[in-house]
Amino acid sequence: MKIKVYSTPQCPWCDKAKQYFKDKGLEFEEIDVSADPDAAKEMIEKSGQMGVPVIEIDGELVIGFNRPKIEEILKKLNE
Amino acid sequence: METKKPGLEKLGTKKTYDVIIVGGSAAGLTAALYAARRELKTLVLTKDIGGQIAITETIKNYPGWEKITGSDLVKILEKQAIESGAEIVIKEVVKIEELKDSGRELFIVKTHSEDEHTKNGTKLKGEEYAGRTVILASGKTPRSLNVPGESKFVGKGVSYCATCDAPLFRNKIVAVVGGGNSAFEAALLLSSVAKKVYIIHRRDEFRAFEKIINDVKQKKNLEFVLSSAIVEIKGSRFVEAAVLENRKTNKRSELKLDGIFVEIGSDVDTDFVKGLVELDETDQIKTNKNAETSHPGIFAAGDVTDTPFKQIIVAAGEGSKAALAAYNYIHEIENKYVIDWSTHKHEHKADLNKNEKNES
Repeated sequence: MKIKVYSTPQCPWCDKAKQYFKDKGLEFEEIDVSADPDAAKEMIEKSGQMGVPVIEIDGELVIGFNRPKIEEILKKLNE
Repeated sequence: METKKPGLEKLGTKKTYDVIIVGGSAAGLTAALYAARRELKTLVLTKDIGGQIAITETIKNYPGWEKITGSDLVKILEKQAIESGAEIVIKEVVKIEELKDSGRELFIVKTHSEDEHTKNGTKLKGEEYAGRTVILASGKTPRSLNVPGESKFVGKGVSYCATCDAPLFRNKIVAVVGGGNSAFEAALLLSSVAKKVYIIHRRDEFRAFEKIINDVKQKKNLEFVLSSAIVEIKGSRFVEAAVLENRKTNKRSELKLDGIFVEIGSDVDTDFVKGLVELDETDQIKTNKNAETSHPGIFAAGDVTDTPFKQIIVAAGEGSKAALAAYNYIHEIENKYVIDWSTHKHEHKADLNKNEKNES
């Protein structure tokens, strides 16, 4: 399972998302879009919007720290 | 100090607390810290932790820190509250009611859970909590422009949080709408990443503090657009332009933009306590020097009250007062000031006793 979290350094919901995966013991790649304009572009293209965080779990996107949706995707992948 | 009052047991499965605090930012978390340190069973119910502080980039006027980011300050406040023994639950309070049970008054606080909040507003599973006292610290929420195209482009060029989204607008052209400190702070932040920043304000004068206005005027890529308002936001996939209207000439013009940051202030939402506590003409909760509201046992602190100065340190100070007043209330210790809610006259208790003596 590949988890990516597109985030910026000063984003409380990004922090909550990262903490969520840490608490669950799930490894994730943290992509700082403020430091990497190419990553920012990639995130905007993929998600069709500019808000952070954008969470990608095995290619499936979640915009914002939408906990129920994240849990739904994780559940599906574990089955 | 655990005191079992008659009637509490009857509540059965409802969770009971000494203090229930509505709101988890400066006022609420400080109240929680103080209440918990007084060994009161304390619960904070909030739809998010940090409120307005969480979306503030840098804070330079909170005593104790020369400079601190909003998110760092929130982390510390949350840590202090939790380490002192308070519980924090992310649930939005939707209603508060009184329950009179064997002469003992309790407040039933009803919530719905953030997780169960569905987009199309279907039935929400709520929870109920009982508290001997309540501290209202729900602050304010940012206002929208309420113009066509705004909701369509939220997250697609329209933002209410420069701190969160500024990095996505590197080398782009953006506008900040507003004339207060938040607008200027957003503009300053954006000027370091964006190619050009417009500050669009419907008046000629600014509410912001002089220092920050001067800092903004130093920036070469910042331009003011005064006496103007955005009347429409246009674009295809993302924001491409805003239609501006000059309020003096009524002339309209189009401004090419990649992003619009809305910083036009915020409003209280006190529907959940309407009828329970007295509100002022802008629906803010009326309080006295003891953070007491018109309803005994209910206290309020911070931006949600009629306090004239909406600052973090003021909210924190009021939060501590509210907690200490709640403690006194629970332990039936009289607070120093009383307020006659019909006349709103504050009187020092000692003076009152003196007057009573003279009259008898």
